Amino acid sequence: MGFLLLMKIGWRNLWRNPRGTLLTALALGLGLTLLLISLGLLDGSHEQMVNNAVRFGTGHVVVQPMGYQDSASAELLLPPRVVSTTEAFLHTEAMKHVLRGMSPRLLASGLLSSAANSSGVNLMGVIPKQERAVSLIPQRIVEGNYLNDDQQSGVVIGTELARKLDVKVGDKVVFMTQAVQPTGTDEADAGGGEMQSTLLRVSGIFRTGIQAIDAHIIQLPLPEAQALLGVPGRVTQVAILLEREGDSLMVAQDLQKQVTGIPVEILPWRQSMPTLAQSFLLDDAFNYVMNGVVLAMVGLGILNTILMRVIERHHEFGLCLALGLRPAQLAVMIIGESLALTALSLALGLVLGLSAQHYFATAGLDLRWFFESSLPTTLVFDPVIYSRLSLARIASSVGIVFLTATVISFYPAYKAARTELPDALKVF
Amino acid sequence: MTEWAVELKDVKKAYHTGPIEVPALRGISLRIAPGEFLALAGPSGSGKTTLLNIIGGLDRADTGEVLVEEKNLQLLSSGELARLRLLRLGFVFQTYNLLPVLTALENAEFTLLLQGVPVEQRKDRVQTLFSEIGLAGLEDRRPGEMSGGQQQRVAVARAMVTKPALILADEPTANLDSVTATALLQVMEELNRAHGTTFVYATHDPQVMERARRLIHLHDGQITSDVTRAGHAL
Repeated sequence: MGFLLLMKIGWRNLWRNPRGTLLTALALGLGLTLLLISLGLLDGSHEQMVNNAVRFGTGHVVVQPMGYQDSASAELLLPPRVVSTTEAFLHTEAMKHVLRGMSPRLLASGLLSSAANSSGVNLMGVIPKQERAVSLIPQRIVEGNYLNDDQQSGVVIGTELARKLDVKVGDKVVFMTQAVQPTGTDEADAGGGEMQSTLLRVSGIFRTGIQAIDAHIIQLPLPEAQALLGVPGRVTQVAILLEREGDSLMVAQDLQKQVTGIPVEILPWRQSMPTLAQSFLLDDAFNYVMNGVVLAMVGLGILNTILMRVIERHHEFGLCLALGLRPAQLAVMIIGESLALTALSLALGLVLGLSAQHYFATAGLDLRWFFESSLPTTLVFDPVIYSRLSLARIASSVGIVFLTATVISFYPAYKAARTELPDALKVF
Repeated sequence: MTEWAVELKDVKKAYHTGPIEVPALRGISLRIAPGEFLALAGPSGSGKTTLLNIIGGLDRADTGEVLVEEKNLQLLSSGELARLRLLRLGFVFQTYNLLPVLTALENAEFTLLLQGVPVEQRKDRVQTLFSEIGLAGLEDRRPGEMSGGQQQRVAVARAMVTKPALILADEPTANLDSVTATALLQVMEELNRAHGTTFVYATHDPQVMERARRLIHLHDGQITSDVTRAGHAL
């Protein structure tokens, strides 16, 4: 009863001042546009950072002995059947389109020395072909070559380490470490704890831009590392790279079911790299605050506009009330008018926002201008950020703007409903 | 039919401007019979609009009794007053009488829509009234596309379309030229005769006062004369 009339009046009222209406709609629409651009770039940069971080670190999912995350003890090694079970699971049909690569690694620490200097390093024994599928280090070789499966010796080191040791490709270095005594074995039987050393030839030098990697990580073929540490056939962890980051938790959980009862920890990257995950949360929180500020500013602008419209029509509202319209109906009319304005704004915002998102998703936001002459050597992220926006993000953004506009319309509606007779009918 | 369309007993009303009390009505007692065509005359500030507002339930008296169709308006809630205005009263104001975003037809059927009258019935009633008062063909025009006289006639049609017991008009001809004002008064008179609707209108235009069958003069919130003219009887 009368509802359609109220909506009709509300809609037509919007077009009494088309320019004003369009400007208001544009203001709110731009709020949504900014929200979509900001969230798209944020999610895109996070995705790119995750993609880089997992490939310099432990992959999307890591399988390692229970307690390794906290202790990083070289004595903790994966039971061989866990490695085989993991391999078997990852090569099932179901995982075919999920898995990008997996790399078993033997990890230890030691001292790398050249004729000029020595430095403490973290050793990674890897299977070169598999490591290539998971890690970005093989792609960041700046001198020489990465390890080769056919070659059972050689070591790749970072630029910082090479500088410190004053070595170049082809030079000899000595790696010294303590033989591993796997947990649960007898030291005398295993020969663990004894100092071991080996002569290695630098086959390649990489530069990732990450100080901790370039100065401390060395990679050598897995069999050589196993022989050196006295743990043939054993590895510390299996790093798993997936096609999509979103599958991390699912793969970790499914894999966990395969090794129930065995003391291993299977961690998605958010747990294996908690600092990174927390930095994203902080980033998100800051972004939400900034978006909140933008929305509040846009919202106040719209509140002002709608309120002015309501005040301008004071006499009309008085007329409606005099004719028998109830205050609640008047409020519905104003809310309806605001919702129509919001719908228009959302349409504008979606068109603009999704167009901008499409541009940034394809061409990207190039930040190289920010660094003027050259990129810093420590740059670990891609300077071109590609926007990524999920449907859920779009829906939640639209929902937030809709909710903001709806809440904002309550006050003008309340104000209209409070129109007092007969004052509103006075003609000055 | 009730004995009196309107009955006022010692109605007083004052407005407050800060600490100053300005009396608007100083004890008005008045009876208006159904079907009357009555003008309230008097200079600005005499209390005409206040009296109309109180009779129409747009304002409340400070003291006294206001009975419209035997309902004591002083005892009604604001919601009940709104319902009374919607169902039993019609209003024509001096200016800005119509909703600018609605067409003439939509403005005229506004109150019918609020009453929930079906569409066919609405259209039928409005079209009939429009033909009666010379608005046929103007149904789709917006207020901005009509003359002042046409707009006031649409307002009269809107007031009449619900078949109210009483129509209250506050200076309905104030912004019209004399020819248009006379034409509007003729329309109101004809509707009064044809439908028996009670009309009470306020004016300070002597020409318009002459059309009334009963003329009440107000001065400083009091009735100074109440004359029923011979030869104007129904």
